[in-house]
Amino acid sequence: MSLTAADWLHKIHELPLSEPVKVMNVCGGHERSITMAGLRAALPKTVELIPGPGCPVCICPEEDVYVAIQLALHEAVIVVAFGDMLRVPVNVGKRDIRSLEHAKAAGADIRPIASPLEALQIAEQNPQRQVVFFAAGFETTTAPVAALLMQGIPDNLSLLLSGRLTWPAVAMLLETGQARFNALIAPGHVATVMGAQEWQFVVDQYQMPTAIAGFTPVSLLAALYSCLRQGLEHKPFLDNCYPQVVTEHGNLTAQQYLQQTMTVQDAPWRGIGNIAQSGFSLRNSEHDARVRFPDYAEPARKRAGEMPAGCDCARVVLGAIYPNQCRLYGSACTPRHPIGPCMVSDEGACRIWWSSGVRTFEPSSAA
Amino acid sequence: MCLGIPMQVVEINQFVARCTAKGVERDVSLFMLQHENLAVGDYVMVHVGYAIQKMTEEEAHSSWELFDEMVRLEEEALAAYQQGNKPNA
Ligand code: SF4
Repeated sequence: MSLTAADWLHKIHELPLSEPVKVMNVCGGHERSITMAGLRAALPKTVELIPGPGCPVCICPEEDVYVAIQLALHEAVIVVAFGDMLRVPVNVGKRDIRSLEHAKAAGADIRPIASPLEALQIAEQNPQRQVVFFAAGFETTTAPVAALLMQGIPDNLSLLLSGRLTWPAVAMLLETGQARFNALIAPGHVATVMGAQEWQFVVDQYQMPTAIAGFTPVSLLAALYSCLRQGLEHKPFLDNCYPQVVTEHGNLTAQQYLQQTMTVQDAPWRGIGNIAQSGFSLRNSEHDARVRFPDYAEPARKRAGEMPAGCDCARVVLGAIYPNQCRLYGSACTPRHPIGPCMVSDEGACRIWWSSGVRTFEPSSAA
Repeated sequence: MCLGIPMQVVEINQFVARCTAKGVERDVSLFMLQHENLAVGDYVMVHVGYAIQKMTEEEAHSSWELFDEMVRLEEEALAAYQQGNKPNA
């Protein structure tokens, strides 16, 4: 018989934990399961679960959103983007257009989609129009974009690509000594595509307990238990707690598509700056919207590339603070009136916490 | 965006499969699973309309249960939120 969530919790409580353990996750889906299932309250006081860089919408460069808005406003194009991207605000003057949603209300042709396949459909249905697919996302979303390119897309479809890799953000935190965690729960679906071995560096270079988890409370608790035990025994290893879909090398077909259509380069993360080898760029300029259309980036704009004024999303994303430690959380900033992208996106920690009813939270080992 | 949903294959047409999950039917691209020998009845993990991996029936069912539970919790939280905060909160 496999263990239930209650069994895992029991096993965790039985562990002789004395030192505080801080376990970071890097996936909005993990954070949602943890928060909605109320796992934090059920854990021993010494165990802290930190939401980390798991929200691609939150770190999508402000400049890229700005460019997408300008393309929609000034070129006769249809802009398609994942639904979450539409409400992400950029830093412009009070009377300027500040989001794709806002641009849509002003008459621009902007359409939310849930799949790259819909971008293709819209392009095929509108052969006389130019369609720009603003493709932001981590590996799990960028691989399907690569697959779309491999299959062949019509001439009138181009990409404004904003794809990012997850592991380089963790590597950056560890390398620069900013890591506030001492164990890692690695993302199950990123590993499904890219392979478990992508996370081996955390163990090899930093001797940090690491486990790959799926999205059920059982899978997350199994991964947490593994991390805690690895720490207690001082024997870190990469534990695959999601073997149902995660293999050592991942989906090789998907990785091959990524390699054939894109290169990996240093790339900016909103409010954070450049992270080495963390961004996908198109190999071929043929369907690159940045080549096809004039450059609308305005790097001299006030606060270009930054989070909105007063918003602490960058530190939330890096796991430096919890959402409720932002002073706008729940006051000026709510899902209905979001100030920053972490309250806009379904994968943003602020939104997940607020919509799950988290109003106050005291980390046990409060800084 | 990153939420994967397990679906069951009901029909395969080259690289596109008709898939179902809990009564909802959708077209799913199998382009990234060309190396797998997929058949009607198989389960796949679907992400933004693309199957990213084949999976077992058992794992599909436990993910569906989680999904139901999250929808229920989300609805509860939303109801509580709307009750506690009348318009404009
Ligand atoms: S609560 Fe709002 S303003 Fe504060 S970090 Fe989160 S999204 Fe940004």
